[in-house]
Amino acid sequence: MSTNAEPVARPVDSEAIVAEILKLGITHVICVPDTFQKTVIARLAELEVPRTLIVCTEDEAMGINAGLYIGGANPMMLIQNNGIHASINTMKAIALDAKVPTFIVVGQFLRDATKAPEENRARAVRLLEPTLDVWGVPYFRLEGPEDIGAFAKAYERAHEDKGPAVVIVGTPTV
Amino acid sequence: MQRQEAIDILARSREGIVSVVTMQSVAPWHDAGQGEVDHIDATQCMGSASSIALGIALARPDRKVMVLDGDGSLLMQLGSLATIAGAAPANLYHFVFANGLHQSTGNQPLPAQGLLDWCAMATAAGYRKAVRIEQAEDLIEQLPGIWAEQGPLLVELVIAREDTEPRWAGVPMAGQVVALKASLAAER
Repeated sequence: MSTNAEPVARPVDSEAIVAEILKLGITHVICVPDTFQKTVIARLAELEVPRTLIVCTEDEAMGINAGLYIGGANPMMLIQNNGIHASINTMKAIALDAKVPTFIVVGQFLRDATKAPEENRARAVRLLEPTLDVWGVPYFRLEGPEDIGAFAKAYERAHEDKGPAVVIVGTPTV
Repeated sequence: MQRQEAIDILARSREGIVSVVTMQSVAPWHDAGQGEVDHIDATQCMGSASSIALGIALARPDRKVMVLDGDGSLLMQLGSLATIAGAAPANLYHFVFANGLHQSTGNQPLPAQGLLDWCAMATAAGYRKAVRIEQAEDLIEQLPGIWAEQGPLLVELVIAREDTEPRWAGVPMAGQVVALKASLAAER
């Protein structure tokens, strides 16, 4: 266990995140609200493009993402770690088996930012990356402002691989 | 009404409508010659058919989209009724094959079998309209009016129990995704 009380992860400004989303030409953000990303969600809500769709579950989000992609839009998902754990079967069927680019930004809800994810007590935090590893889903950590390039990397990976790729937001955005 | 009767009636009136079909309607839809063009089988993701259809409908408001759902499937992602109602796609037509059973796994009863009212749930969630159809001749008569309506619209199709073995079309969804995306893009 880490004894270092200094933050491992540092907050990223929501304005910088939204700028990345705009650079990627995202048309729709399909969102199951996440505490860690509430400032991002608030900023996105002020925009006409991308359109933010608040949905009920991550299962729905993956289906809608697929339909939007099929129809020629450029969607992404914004969810939290518990949502990945909740929607594995749909991710398997749609993002992996049906080969749908699925760019997902995931908040590490309940993460203690003074510790690495693998040292956190919360299972949802500790087991997120191992779960993604089991399913062969690439992920990129956003641990501070210097990691902002994670958005482009995950987006490109999702479209190159035609499958899921994840940005993990390690601490609440500001 | 038998499932195959309803499928055949819907197939005859389809006329270029994009289709998303799930569970035990998949194989009959293919049998009716509807699985080749502008179509997705929503397989291995029970409950997701209407969400996939919603995405297509939002991306392509110029095209009508029909989803052939099951009552057991819709129960698995019941919140999708609210999501669809909130997004309010005028071009989405949601057909629910209602037999009160999980047919694919051996006809086990659904929760609240005989109590569920799909039309009430859809309109309570915010669908523009919902209709319940029990007889094939009524489906034939009402379909032209249904296609003329603005969505989101839910049609509950009351279908009979079948005790045959479940069937699957066995067509990979990945290929259908590529084909439908290309077909829709080619129109632009």
